[in-house]
Amino acid sequence: MSDTTATTEDGLRIVGEVAQGFPPPPKSYARAAYSNAKPDTQSATWLIVRPDGRVSAYAGKVEYGQGIRSGLAMEVADELRVRLDAVDVLLGDTDHTPWDMGTFGSQSTARVGLQLRRAAATAREALVELAADKLDLPTGELECRNGRVISRADPARSVAYGDLVAGKAITRDVQEDVALTPRDEFTVMGRPAPRVDAVDRVTGKAQYSQDIMLPGMLFAQPLRPPARKARLVDADTKVAEQLPGVVQIVREGDRIAVLAETDEQAEFAAKAVQAQWREEDGQPTNWDVPDLLRRTAGEPVITQESGDTAEGFRQADAVLESLYYLPYISNAPMEPRAAVAQWEDGRLTVWAGTQRPFGLRAELAGHFEIEESSVRVIAPEIGGGFGSKSIYPVALEAARLAKAAGRPVRVAYTRAEEMVFATFRPAALIEVKSGFLDDGTLVAWEFTAYHAGERPFIGQRGSQTPYHLANVKVSVSSSESPLREGSYRSLGGAVNHFARESHMDEIAAAVGIDPVELRLRNLTEPRFRRVLEAAADRFGWSGAKPPSQRGVGVAIGLDVGSYVAACVEVQVHGSEVTVERVATALDCGLVVNPEGAKNQMEGSIVMGMGTALYEAIDFQSGRLLNAGFTRYRVPRSNNAPKIDVELVGDPDTPSTGAGEPGIVPVAPAIANAVFDLTGDRVRELPIQRHLRG
Amino acid sequence: MLSIRVNGEERQVPTPERNLLSYLRFDLGLTGTKYGCGEGLCGACTILLDGQPLRACMTTAGSAAGGSLTTIEGLASDATLHPVQQAFVDESAMQCGYCIPGFIMTAVGLLSREAQPNTSQIREALAENMCRCGTYQRIQQAVERAAGVQRNDAHERHDSHN
Repeated sequence: MSDTTATTEDGLRIVGEVAQGFPPPPKSYARAAYSNAKPDTQSATWLIVRPDGRVSAYAGKVEYGQGIRSGLAMEVADELRVRLDAVDVLLGDTDHTPWDMGTFGSQSTARVGLQLRRAAATAREALVELAADKLDLPTGELECRNGRVISRADPARSVAYGDLVAGKAITRDVQEDVALTPRDEFTVMGRPAPRVDAVDRVTGKAQYSQDIMLPGMLFAQPLRPPARKARLVDADTKVAEQLPGVVQIVREGDRIAVLAETDEQAEFAAKAVQAQWREEDGQPTNWDVPDLLRRTAGEPVITQESGDTAEGFRQADAVLESLYYLPYISNAPMEPRAAVAQWEDGRLTVWAGTQRPFGLRAELAGHFEIEESSVRVIAPEIGGGFGSKSIYPVALEAARLAKAAGRPVRVAYTRAEEMVFATFRPAALIEVKSGFLDDGTLVAWEFTAYHAGERPFIGQRGSQTPYHLANVKVSVSSSESPLREGSYRSLGGAVNHFARESHMDEIAAAVGIDPVELRLRNLTEPRFRRVLEAAADRFGWSGAKPPSQRGVGVAIGLDVGSYVAACVEVQVHGSEVTVERVATALDCGLVVNPEGAKNQMEGSIVMGMGTALYEAIDFQSGRLLNAGFTRYRVPRSNNAPKIDVELVGDPDTPSTGAGEPGIVPVAPAIANAVFDLTGDRVRELPIQRHLRG
Repeated sequence: MLSIRVNGEERQVPTPERNLLSYLRFDLGLTGTKYGCGEGLCGACTILLDGQPLRACMTTAGSAAGGSLTTIEGLASDATLHPVQQAFVDESAMQCGYCIPGFIMTAVGLLSREAQPNTSQIREALAENMCRCGTYQRIQQAVERAAGVQRNDAHERHDSHN
């Protein structure tokens, strides 16, 4: 075989140029966000078939709840004709996995999955060639089945993959044009399967950043400012230094951290540091935000424009204007960020549950002015993030302190620190003006959104209307943000959908048409019509003019290329809203892992329910007033609705994301259902704060 | 010195005022029990003390001395998962999985008090724990499965409002 080269490890290794195999998306928020990140063009290993018959697959993605390890294992197992439990997927380790921009934007299955399928198909072809030599049969008479290459004519003649590669070190390049297994031959993909990492999760073996411990490791407790924009004036560490277990107090400029032998010793000593802070006066409160959004709005960006809205409003039988407001909310993943750093002979290793291990490697290398090859970032299991763990400040803190101490150091946020120092889904104020005919046909649509923060891609996501009409103008402005804004499930998609889909219901009420019927009248895209009809059917929707006093609501959405619709039913007791049941339909094209997709949809609905009913960050004078679960309510099991998910995608349509789209119709569907029940239109979230009880 | 039984093994408690969660995680290396809030609100640190659920973050190692603790690591016997663990696997009742040990311990505690809980008892018991990934429906189904409860069909309330 002319294309083989020797490596040190036995087995069949499939390699690929990462930049060729996995280019960054040409047009996405991710590219805008991380435009400074350049893909490595070195050759990287994607897959190894080992002498014991096991298959290792490598991806720079991370597992933070979306089930990617299972999804990728399923793709490899199917393409390589091995059992699912013969595949090991190694994720997020900068020393061992191909370069990756980060795990966000629901790109994992779509891009890396395809690359791993190509690698597996390349391996399958190579194994057939090896078997042809060994069995002395033409390749055309051989096929792969259950980890073996088998003669079609005489199934007794076969050879196990492991035996084909034992004692050999073979390397092949990923064939970009390799024939992939047709869908009707899938035996693993598209079928329900238990998660490959389930047992580790139910036995406590799964290791998260919070769980990493190294010999000699010190626990750090950095001194945290009492408020945003507070500067350290003076600090006296004399008492703290004398406390038991304290090994060192590291001071670098404004930053002070206690390093101790145990977590409690570090926390206690940090409280004993006498610190004086100067806080900036006049910081806004959450009540100031709606005004701030309009007052500080930057140049609007037109995200959709057609026809002439002024002319459209003239043609309209009626014109409706509404204003919607969504507060800052917290991602609040169950695992607060934590990192452990270790320096050995000038080489830094950091365990950090970041969505961007390679991006973090670059940041660390830049900070310490060392080569990226001198930094290894390992992303263990990640206890949730929902977008926010692209930013991971504790990693640099741990690395700095480990360097100062000459010992491994762990920095872990408390719950309050996690909520204060993480990012927030930015607040937004949205004006919608619509013109429509008496039969509900839209003729003019103006959507003017003000999203907090300097990341315009957040607020632009999902701002375009999917309804078919001639005269449209959608603009999005970025405004000053008193809190640090960041990614959240669907970014601003769910925010924009709340305004648009609430407004569609207001039109339905104005013209006296059933909300499902009103949407269908204005939708031409078949994929939209299909998800809406599927969700309505699954729900048992029967048409009525809102408010029908039944407490039912509907909304549709489009996010990361996937189409979604949701119907909900609510009950209201005083100001407590209970979501009884949700029927939702998703079209994300080909579904690799239906259990995984449904699980993500269910989670998106529960999360969306929290944003709709309970969640808002309160702040004053630079302090978060509800940085903990006593005052920041999130859904619990006795609030959870019965959820029915239907996947309606065409398997011949390429896969799009399933992790984010589920959230976009939830809040408006709930607000619409509350209106349907009570006649009370709530245009400001969270609903329970604004419902007339 | 005080001692405590952890997963059937006698362990010493050199510092009685040590936070029980920190003791388990950092002193004994039993990191399956998680820190989520430190305020007894999220249930990620739920363990069993003499068979009943306890928030490890809210107590000290000394106050549990003399008792018998079970953590998630001690639930399976040899290679066989506890029925509640197996039910979580079978229902894919997890996403990130960080909260799952706490949920499993809460469920084991519930089933030891009430072998045949109804759906509403399960929902109320599980409300002591939080799952931010929102896998509540699956968790509830897993506990129903472990308890041998007849599964509620997703469509059962389908026609109630037509």
